Amino acid sequence: MPSSRERSYNTEGVVLRRRNLGEADSIFTVFSPTVGKFDGVARGVRKPKSRMRGHLEPLTRSQLHLAHGRNLDIFTQAETIAAYINVRDDLDRLTLALYCAELIDRFTLDRAPQPQLYGLLVELLEGLNEEAPLTVGRYFELEVMGLTGYELQLMACAVCGVKLPEAETLFSPSAGGLVCDGCRGIAETGRILSVRAIKVLRFARSSSMGQFAGLRLDGDLEDELRRALGDAVKNVLDRETNSGRYVDALSGPLRRPATSPPTDVQSSTPSIT
Amino acid sequence: MGETPSTPEPIQRLIEAFHRLPGIGPKSAQRLAYHILGTSEQDTAQLADALMEVKRRIRMCSVCVNITESDPCRYCNDIRRDRTLVCVVEQPLDVLAIERSGGFRGQYHVLHGVLNPMDGVGPEDIHVRELVVRLQAGEIQEIIMATNPSLEGEATAMYIQRLVGPAGVKVTRLARGLPSGADLEYTDDVTLARALEGRREI
Repeated sequence: MPSSRERSYNTEGVVLRRRNLGEADSIFTVFSPTVGKFDGVARGVRKPKSRMRGHLEPLTRSQLHLAHGRNLDIFTQAETIAAYINVRDDLDRLTLALYCAELIDRFTLDRAPQPQLYGLLVELLEGLNEEAPLTVGRYFELEVMGLTGYELQLMACAVCGVKLPEAETLFSPSAGGLVCDGCRGIAETGRILSVRAIKVLRFARSSSMGQFAGLRLDGDLEDELRRALGDAVKNVLDRETNSGRYVDALSGPLRRPATSPPTDVQSSTPSIT
Repeated sequence: MGETPSTPEPIQRLIEAFHRLPGIGPKSAQRLAYHILGTSEQDTAQLADALMEVKRRIRMCSVCVNITESDPCRYCNDIRRDRTLVCVVEQPLDVLAIERSGGFRGQYHVLHGVLNPMDGVGPEDIHVRELVVRLQAGEIQEIIMATNPSLEGEATAMYIQRLVGPAGVKVTRLARGLPSGADLEYTDDVTLARALEGRREI
């Protein structure tokens, strides 16, 4: 350890989750572009007069000051950069944002900086705070897998590498993406994806989040994509996400009627060739 | 490997029992266990008795799910309290806090938790169903969501609003703003925005 190690440091970060500790302390898991994911403890943060409390709520982007501790670093100051208040005010947006935060938590290792992934999370929160549709969650899932080394194979067969035409194809998370008819026997599990779904997935990999947010997907297509990517995420993590199950629960009988009439994806994605 | 120094089995059991309590680490559990060893038999019997009494005599109110000795609880039984107004709280302790404030004369509903997606706590893990059953009786006109102003508390409030809103029940939320003795300089943006929204003429 360098002897000149500073006793404290500054970083910004998005708070991913909170766990209570003892009478009035909490441990926060923060994702920072320079430090990566890390846990820190905030002393006395559950007391009403704590000056840090509101600045360390999950899904808040804050400027942080920490002191090195024996085990965990200790938050000494926190100031909000963005609180994403519209995300907090809408149950669907909030649930999706929490799901994305859980993905970041589970797809990353402690103290391994991934600035691109951080940029993605901030972009998602900003998008959801504005008018982005909930389907940006699918873009986020694909991008997280791509940035962490689990890129799905969408253009060619994940088993034999043959280029795939734009047609109904087997999607096998365990094989790592789409699988051609000839290799179906090798891929153990999967589900058939519609042409529309495959087009959307391919479009997502070549577009920005903003462009993807411009897509209008009808309910069936949205469900198809949600299930397929949910399978893919589960395959990588080897377990269900906590908040993913929750998204499903909320989108069940409580689901609100769509606010805009669904448009066919083909008509609204002219850039797909 | 030499043999690890062994603790007598009964002490080990006690240590493990303490260790299961919230906020008690292995060292604290040991300290508590050895403290019990040093206390008189009478004190220990009192403690054991108190523990058992709690389990024997305290149950949950079949109406509001608050903890109580008698069912229905005193708040649900009190005919002077407004039965059209229900305050929904996270924990039994919150009922006491609101009672202390003296400003509420309606009834309660205790959820025993909040929705916490990240930890996998869903609607079926808290006592929401009992609330829906109460609403079906038709007497309740307003629900005051008094969950904590945390992310989880807000999520729970929004969830219940969505659940019961269509039934025509008015759902309100406790006001949010600055606590007394607060410092504007250190107040977070969300609280300050809510405080501005909810400002009052003086």
